Amino acid sequence: MATGITHEESKRRVMRVLIILSVVTAVEIGAALAHYYFLSFEAQVATKIWLNVLFIVLSAAKAYYIMSEFMHLRYELKPLTISVLAPFLFLIWAIIAFSYEGVSWLELRNWFG
Amino acid sequence: MADTAVAHTQASASSEDLWSGGQAPVKASYGKLMMWYFLISDTFTFAGFLIAYAAIRFAHPPMATGLPNAWPDPNEVFSATPLTGHAKLPLVFVTFMTFTLIASSVTMVRAVQEGTRMNKKGVMFWMVWTILGGVVFVGSQAWEWTHLIHEGMTPTGNPFGAAAFGALFFLITGFHGAHVTVGIIINVIVLFQTWIGTYERRGHYEMVEKVGLYWHFVDLVWVYVFMAFYLL
Repeated sequence: MATGITHEESKRRVMRVLIILSVVTAVEIGAALAHYYFLSFEAQVATKIWLNVLFIVLSAAKAYYIMSEFMHLRYELKPLTISVLAPFLFLIWAIIAFSYEGVSWLELRNWFG
Repeated sequence: MADTAVAHTQASASSEDLWSGGQAPVKASYGKLMMWYFLISDTFTFAGFLIAYAAIRFAHPPMATGLPNAWPDPNEVFSATPLTGHAKLPLVFVTFMTFTLIASSVTMVRAVQEGTRMNKKGVMFWMVWTILGGVVFVGSQAWEWTHLIHEGMTPTGNPFGAAAFGALFFLITGFHGAHVTVGIIINVIVLFQTWIGTYERRGHYEMVEKVGLYWHFVDLVWVYVFMAFYLL
């Protein structure tokens, strides 16, 4: 738990993360509602993929701040950080593989009814 | 010889910060490291559910097709808020739930920080707010479930589109809600132990830090549950 920073400084850092998480969440909700209310149906369909990219990037940013500051991973020793984060690399493969699999299930269904 | 070996083992077992190797691995206590490894395994459970969600969702016609078995649009499904009658307010209530969980994560960090200063009153103050935030979140989720069940959503079908949507929604938000509920129970126990002075006598508030890790993990999972069901 020894971080080498003062109590006041660590309080400030937590408040900073609170503001970042709140703003990022507000941006996500704002983008979702603006997309829903202000665009025509065709424009919604055409831009949905970029909206989804935005959501994935912003969610990753939120996850980074929660893990580094709230869960204190920034202040732990490197080997601990690596042993916690390295297993998640498998998930990247799993997400791609199973999404691809899902698309192929849809094609099979369309093909065979 | 045998006597000294036994004595040595007992001495090491009694000191919590050294795992009998003379130096704690990665400068973390046994309990804290095991909490991290538990959270990794729990991440894989949630990831399994969310990846199943992705695969099943891709196996259905996309929202834009408008087919009866198309994947439902979250702006249509999650558009109710308490005390507003039948007004259509997409994502408003879940925004409130998300901010509640973020706020309770912040109060948890504050409890951990007061713990490092051995400030018993401070720990109790922030733990109470954390527990309150958790209770409001689970209560909100109960309201949302009740509303959706009233709308006709079941694990086998729903009026919004793909039948699998209901099953996945109840499975994943239910599993997350169960985690929050368990977190509340553990937080209440830690609050009680703080109150009766268990950690003060022990000389450190590391238990608060360990349950804090679990509580932040629940917040972290919500980021992705929120993304999968309410945003994408």
